[in-house]
Amino acid sequence: MTSSNTAMDNQDAKQSKENNTNYMARTTKRWVEPGIRLSPKHSNNGDAVHEPVFDVEDFISPGQLYSTESGCLFHAGRILIVLVGLPATSKTLLSVAITRYTRWLGVRTESFHLSKYTKTNTNIPSFLSDEFSTVEGAEFKKEIINKVTNDMIKFFDNGKGQIAIYDALNIRKSERADIKKTFENNNVKVLFVESIVTDPNLMTKNIELAIQSEDYKNWGKHEAIKDYTRRITDNESLYERMSPIEGVSYIKYLNFGERIIMNNTNYGYLVNKIVFFLMNLSNKQGCIYLSRCGRSDSDKYTDDEVLNEEGLKFSEILTKTVIARVKEKGLERKKKAMEFNKNSKDTSVTADPSVNNDDNLNSDSLVVWTAERKRTYDTAKFFKEHGFDVRKRSQLKQLHPGVVADMTMDEIKEKYPNEVEEYERDPYHYRFSRAESYHDLAVRMEPLLLELEHMHNDILIIAHESTLRVLYGYFMACTSLEVPTLDFTRHQLVEISFNPFNNVVTRIPIDI
Amino acid sequence: MVLKKLANEKDLKLCVVMVGLPARGKSFISQKIVRYLSWLSINCKCFNVGNYRRVLGVDNPKYGFFDFDNLNSYNIREKALKLAFEDMLSWFDDATDNKVAIIDATNSTRERRNWIIENCNKNNVHPMFLESWCDDSETIMANVKDIAITSPDYDGMDEKLAEDDFMKRIENYQNVYSTLNTTDDKDVTFVKLINISHEIIINKIQTYLQSRIVFYVMNIRIKPKCIWLSRHGESIYNVEQKIGGDSSLSERGLKYASKLKSLIKENVASNDEQNLSVWTSTLTRTQETAQYLPYKKLEWKALDELDAGVCDGMTYEEIEEIYPEDFKARDEDKYEYRYRGGESYRDVVIRLEPVIMELERQENVLIITHQAVLRCIYAYFMNVPKEESPWVSIPLHTLIKLEPRAYGTKVTRIKANIPAVSTYKEKGTSHVGESSSAKGSHNLLVNAPEINQN
Repeated sequence: MTSSNTAMDNQDAKQSKENNTNYMARTTKRWVEPGIRLSPKHSNNGDAVHEPVFDVEDFISPGQLYSTESGCLFHAGRILIVLVGLPATSKTLLSVAITRYTRWLGVRTESFHLSKYTKTNTNIPSFLSDEFSTVEGAEFKKEIINKVTNDMIKFFDNGKGQIAIYDALNIRKSERADIKKTFENNNVKVLFVESIVTDPNLMTKNIELAIQSEDYKNWGKHEAIKDYTRRITDNESLYERMSPIEGVSYIKYLNFGERIIMNNTNYGYLVNKIVFFLMNLSNKQGCIYLSRCGRSDSDKYTDDEVLNEEGLKFSEILTKTVIARVKEKGLERKKKAMEFNKNSKDTSVTADPSVNNDDNLNSDSLVVWTAERKRTYDTAKFFKEHGFDVRKRSQLKQLHPGVVADMTMDEIKEKYPNEVEEYERDPYHYRFSRAESYHDLAVRMEPLLLELEHMHNDILIIAHESTLRVLYGYFMACTSLEVPTLDFTRHQLVEISFNPFNNVVTRIPIDI
Repeated sequence: MVLKKLANEKDLKLCVVMVGLPARGKSFISQKIVRYLSWLSINCKCFNVGNYRRVLGVDNPKYGFFDFDNLNSYNIREKALKLAFEDMLSWFDDATDNKVAIIDATNSTRERRNWIIENCNKNNVHPMFLESWCDDSETIMANVKDIAITSPDYDGMDEKLAEDDFMKRIENYQNVYSTLNTTDDKDVTFVKLINISHEIIINKIQTYLQSRIVFYVMNIRIKPKCIWLSRHGESIYNVEQKIGGDSSLSERGLKYASKLKSLIKENVASNDEQNLSVWTSTLTRTQETAQYLPYKKLEWKALDELDAGVCDGMTYEEIEEIYPEDFKARDEDKYEYRYRGGESYRDVVIRLEPVIMELERQENVLIITHQAVLRCIYAYFMNVPKEESPWVSIPLHTLIKLEPRAYGTKVTRIKANIPAVSTYKEKGTSHVGESSSAKGSHNLLVNAPEINQN
């Protein structure tokens, strides 16, 4: 060290001696120092969006830009999001989707579904009209609402929680006023999100999903549809729509983002970020398929090689596998729609069996995104020959390995022993010289994640394992610890399908 | 089913079409979007139809020119729009990276908007309408006053007369104005901001880029305000020529901290002082700098200095010696260069998103932060290209006042007149300190009015 400390006053100089040399080192890293690292909690195929976050000390999620000691982010305070809307308006889906996205950003979010609470008492029918005609029913309702309210308060008070999402009908003004009062007294801001569905196809799809739920486990299809549509009509007469006169902050969400109206929602960055997300969220019919690319001769990072014969073979089989699967799923949807129509005869709802599930796939029903490398793009060549839209997306570029490119782990350990030690401590955030970390990759892929949320139909993504890990990590709510450990082999096509409550992974063999 | 096919369209060109009566902050919002997108490295350009009208020879029109029954002037205005539109199309053709254009005009009639939709469709450009609707007379009058002073239309005219004329111009528009609504325009992609985002209607958003622009404009407040920027006072590390760290202030730095209070008091309007809030990073030196300020304070992790990773706590000489390749690489592309284990300027820009959005929503904020972070924030307000932004000179012990306006941001820098080291490092050397050449193109503060505080 050559610097002279002429300007340093005596006191500082003294302090410097006492505390050794690094008294002025930066101790507040971008990431709060990890305490006890929790090992990955859930196994391979589960969607972790419902895993609790409030008791996790070092919760650092993949898309998080930095962590704070309080655990809260963006000076946004604590927010309760209250969903409002009739049955079959995708409230559960919305609450889960917002949970997934905000958690990805590092916010401690949890959704509270009233329907889960009603299941504890089997004597009372799960039918939850907003006004019970019997005394017993009213008592029961009061009880479960107390229970969920208390759980949410606990989440905020004891558990560093920042956003709670309350998933229930909340169609009465008085109910909403009660919630608002309770939580504002607890220093929590309250935002209502009212979901309205006027599109008959959307409505049908939601009913179809609802009758597959636990509530209707042992019901006949016809009875289930009848019962559920009655739930809707019964509540319709009780429904008080939100308007500026009510004097609360709300967002109206019409037909899955076709229109969004924000009223008096001057809550700042985090709420606006959620609206930003809602603008991109779409009602998904298709799945996301993830596949690696075929092999090239030396498979090196540094070369941009074309596929070799094995790689071409792989591409061919991949194409067949994906098309077969997409067709199969389309037929399944068609069958379901027809069956639904048979069962919904004396109700007003009908499904449209012709929506995007013809036997012949057309170019709208499946698109393919690849990274820009030759072997990745070429893996999609047979899709192109089949007339599908294949697009290169620069954001799918693999993780830049930096100086350790094309080295085996043993070689790296030998050449960079200290670096490896650090890498092993935090494989998600650590980057080798000139490399990208998984975190860098996740941040640079953000636009792509939102574009994927926007997609309605099937999409196949062919990319490097590192990129697939991040995509999978987002859609399956993996922690930052898990992302670098996820496995993608060339023997399996990974299919992520979308359900309101959770996403589901199916691994489809690719026979090579 | 809501099909959102556009999401997968290639090379989509987006045209943001402003809508609204005069004095609703349209130009202000347009310029804001240009600056924000450029800051995110998305090419964006604004086409102001008024400028094309002036090119056509109508420099100082009186309100009668905007009478919609005046066929002659109507034709001129229509021609101006067409010229703007043609220029926009050729700009799109110039480069595939030219992604977002803004047509800044009142576009107050449905007829005009339909013309734009039709011509966008013909040219494979996707229009998104952005309306600023406002009936709050206070906001409108503030804008009218501002336009009467700054608009080239009223060059050399008495302020009061200009205001009167402008009010009559607004009236002319009011007669034909049709606002966007969810019945007639239900199939159009549009955003309508009502009374400074008290209510926002977002209709048929179809792409990520559109949503990003909407997300941004949701935060914009069209009321005039000031942003104050300051680096922390000189730190012990500054004196030792070390980068990063979490050191305390030097003696001179502490002097700056105690002077900052009066510096603010003397320069902030008293109305603004009441609601001034101070934002610092989580690092000691910014908090010590803010310690005497009697305002509301917020600590932001997002304002922490660019993380120099393994180089944290080193001098530039040491970095040059220990990591010569890195040292060189950083000089070559300072914006993209990432310190080993640390961050690049681009990384900082990304993590500043919440700060920038909150900043747009707030009225008067003083930000006390660090050299690299301030360069990024400064670049955002001043539209500094990303190649230049890491080289902007932001000296210690200088308070910077920014006043964002429709056609640019006014900068004032107020020197505290307390000596401090220079931490400016020129390209290609490990020495710090500003040579005279550094004050050339990189030093964008040089042309700004300067106030010395004694």
